[in-house]
Amino acid sequence: MQLDLLQGTLDMLILKALAGEAKHGYGVAAWLQRTTEDVLRVEEGSLYPALHRLERRGWVESEWGYSDNNRRAKYYGLTAEGRRQLRQERAAWGRFVEAVGKVLSAPAS
Amino acid sequence: MRKGRDRYAGLRWRMGGHRGDEQIRAEFEHHLAARIQEYVASGMTPEAAKQEAMRRLGDVERYVRETRAIDSTLAHELRRREVLGAARREVRQSVRGLVRSPLFTIAAAVTLALGLGATGAVYTLLDAVVLQPLPYAAPDRLVYVASRVTGGGTAGQWGVSPAGYFYYRDHQRTLTGLGVFSQWPVNVSGEGEAERAWAALVNAELFTVLNARVVAGRLLRTEETLPGSASVAMLSHAFWMRRYGGEASVVGRTIQVDAAPVEVIGVLEPGFALPQGTPDLWMARRLNPAGPFFNEHSLGMVARLREGETVESAQRDLAQLTARFTEVYPQVYPESFIREYGFAVEVVPLRGQVLGSSERTLWILFAAVGLVLVIACANVANLVLVRAEVKRREGAIRSAIGAARSHLAWHYITESLLVTTAAALLGLGLAAGALGVLRQLAPAGIPRLADVGLGWNTALLLLSIGLALGTLFGVFPLLRSTRHSALVLREGGRSASASRRQGVVRGALVTAQVALALTLLTGAGLMLRSFARLQAVEPGISSEGVLTGELTLPWGRYRSWEQTNTFYRDLLERLEALPGIARAAVSTVLPLGGSGFCSVVFVEDRPLEPGQEPACLLVSLVSPGFFDAMGIAVQGRAPTWNDNDSRSDAVVVSRALAQRFWGAESAIGRGVRSNGPEPPFYRVSGVTADVHVRGLDQPPTEAVYYPLMPMPGTSLWSPPRNTSLIVRARTSRPLALLPDIRRVLHELDVDVPLANVQTFEEVVAGSMARRSFATMLLALAAAMALALSAVGIYGVISYVVGQRRAEMGIRLALGARSAEVALMVVTQALRLVAFGIVTGLIFSLASTRTLQSLLFEISPTDPLTLVAVGSLIVLLAALAAWMPARKAARVNPVDVMRAE
Repeated sequence: MQLDLLQGTLDMLILKALAGEAKHGYGVAAWLQRTTEDVLRVEEGSLYPALHRLERRGWVESEWGYSDNNRRAKYYGLTAEGRRQLRQERAAWGRFVEAVGKVLSAPAS
Repeated sequence: MRKGRDRYAGLRWRMGGHRGDEQIRAEFEHHLAARIQEYVASGMTPEAAKQEAMRRLGDVERYVRETRAIDSTLAHELRRREVLGAARREVRQSVRGLVRSPLFTIAAAVTLALGLGATGAVYTLLDAVVLQPLPYAAPDRLVYVASRVTGGGTAGQWGVSPAGYFYYRDHQRTLTGLGVFSQWPVNVSGEGEAERAWAALVNAELFTVLNARVVAGRLLRTEETLPGSASVAMLSHAFWMRRYGGEASVVGRTIQVDAAPVEVIGVLEPGFALPQGTPDLWMARRLNPAGPFFNEHSLGMVARLREGETVESAQRDLAQLTARFTEVYPQVYPESFIREYGFAVEVVPLRGQVLGSSERTLWILFAAVGLVLVIACANVANLVLVRAEVKRREGAIRSAIGAARSHLAWHYITESLLVTTAAALLGLGLAAGALGVLRQLAPAGIPRLADVGLGWNTALLLLSIGLALGTLFGVFPLLRSTRHSALVLREGGRSASASRRQGVVRGALVTAQVALALTLLTGAGLMLRSFARLQAVEPGISSEGVLTGELTLPWGRYRSWEQTNTFYRDLLERLEALPGIARAAVSTVLPLGGSGFCSVVFVEDRPLEPGQEPACLLVSLVSPGFFDAMGIAVQGRAPTWNDNDSRSDAVVVSRALAQRFWGAESAIGRGVRSNGPEPPFYRVSGVTADVHVRGLDQPPTEAVYYPLMPMPGTSLWSPPRNTSLIVRARTSRPLALLPDIRRVLHELDVDVPLANVQTFEEVVAGSMARRSFATMLLALAAAMALALSAVGIYGVISYVVGQRRAEMGIRLALGARSAEVALMVVTQALRLVAFGIVTGLIFSLASTRTLQSLLFEISPTDPLTLVAVGSLIVLLAALAAWMPARKAARVNPVDVMRAE
């Protein structure tokens, strides 16, 4: 079964994907696929506007380089600010999940 | 994974839109290729792999579009951030550079700030007084109408006569309305202390012409200015606030003006005043169109030009009417009067009338401080050149390793903008301080000077000048620093051609400075010599220990000659009984007090030929003791209280008047009078020494001093209700007497106030205030110019000496004596200065003519001033060059050789 992504969570996922080493767009897609065991359904094209938007906000920086197969590819990495943002979003997400969980597990009245 | 280094790629795509598009597509292509590769590896056919990869990617075109939109805003932001970052870096670097060379920074900023501060202060005055329009609606359409008189004893600008006013009013075709006014001191009493107030006596149309508005009540109506109407008054806003605390209920109330009831009908808006003068009260000037009319010209007249009319057409219009005066009013204007007095009407723009000579004076001062600023700029240009020299190597290295020329330009411009902006801010502070001082020193009577303050106009002017100069000084060293870049490195820091060219620039700067300083000094010198001449004028009065004040008796209670005479006699007797007072007197005219009033004088043994007019001369009513109190020497006898009270015929005239009528013959016993040529005549009992009543720069005054009580058979206008009290103290501190004087006055009549108390020394200073103000400012500007030029010469010569150290060393080694070397340096400096002096003399001769009207008994080309000023500059230049010259003479040849 595949799940649609919740609105607004893509940015957070990308930040997490880039928390390790710098990746190109396909690298991010592949990492997400691998990590979620292909559960999340994302149109991979939408990663690119998102990456560029993150770059504009200063959370991500990019650099052109060469990938394993010797193709020119653009690599993205987190900035210090991006790391801060990721920490914040992770905390917010935690509270969100907790709150939704409480609602769903509450006895119906 | 391998990361290549392609740092500039990012920058490249940011620069061009189509390149950005390619980059985005490259990202998508890379993605697609990688995905296909993965699928093929897992066993898919290339066809199917491609299809599946495309599906997973989604609508590529849409995502490319979205990405592009994001990128273009990003590119924009990045560019802005880059520029801001660069600017910030540049500023930080420049600040660091400036802090590292504090001597340059402080010298340049302070020099410029001095020039800018002076310019700012004088500009603020100019702006407030001259450049701002008059505070009336459409002020350009307002004109002032007066009479111009060229002969008859008292030449100058007179007012308009009531007869003339009515004739103009009924027949003119170029003006929309004629407002008339005169000003008169009145006594306001009741509701607290009595006080002397200034009343404007006006017609109702004046308020229409000047567009007056009230804050309470209403304006004067025409019917209230007709003879026989009830007395009403309007209050100026300031007087309303001061005396009546701004109470609205004062409108409709009756107040006591000259001990007579007057109803207050309105309060004018704040700041509304006459073009000249700020009256406290506005009352009707009652003029009867039916006459009778006299030859008296006491009305100021303002009017508004009709649509399409000009000052010239109005002048033609009124001149035609004036030409008919002899037919319309043959009694008032006999042809002989028009001819002998050169009587004519004069229509001038109101602005010119109000500003008078202040406009010219302020422009001259502004030009003077402008020159100081230019001289300061020359000094800073010199400093910038020296600094550029130091930085030349740095710049050459930078440009050799590839720094862009434009980057160097930015560096220089940032640095100099920082300095000039700081100077502008510092200059603003200096201007604010200077203005405070100027306000204190400024003479009374310059319109609108009292509330002048530093405003946006001045701030804007100084900052703009600062920015312009900053750019200029920034570009200035650039013109040379990059041109010789390679040369500088090769020659190890010395470039002969560059120094030669620089030498020329420096020489030109010094020459210009000296020339401008000389021009200013000549102007200041001429003014100072005028002032000295003026001070040397023997006023005919001994002013030390004399206190003056103005008395205004309430007309309602002092209607007869006996009443005023009794009051003055009692007052003066009581004052003279005080131990500190040597003599006390009153006079209707205070010498040097600024009165321009004149009246006709008839002489018994010089009867007028038919068609001859009596001269209009100064006429004053004085109490016994006047000449003693003023320290005016009298030959013969001055009337005593006995003469005065018995209405004797004794009268005193001035020597100048005696000379006019009787030449070398004795004046004693001759007959004079003022109201008509028929006997009885007063008999001259005494003749005063020469007295300059109308101003020290005016010739000795022709005057008649009548007693306070008229001789039977003569009537001298009306009893003297407005007089100056003159008290000669036994000590040199007359102000200490003031409480006693006020007490005596209070005991005698509580409703007679003493206004405008001044020592006579202050009166004399006041009569010269404009001249001394202009002189002082011009002298200050010249002193600044001189000091700045001396610094400039010193700087240039020091620099040249530094450059020629080696040569000096060699000369000394070859046996030249140190005195010779020093002399050589000084001579070189003086050669530059000589150029400047010649240029400056030409400037001076061309420009001091503008000072003509401010000079007194000094020619604008006064050779003594020119020689003195030239010598002063040579002396100062030699002094400024001497210090570096001494240094040059002490060069140790051995050190020089080693350094080479």
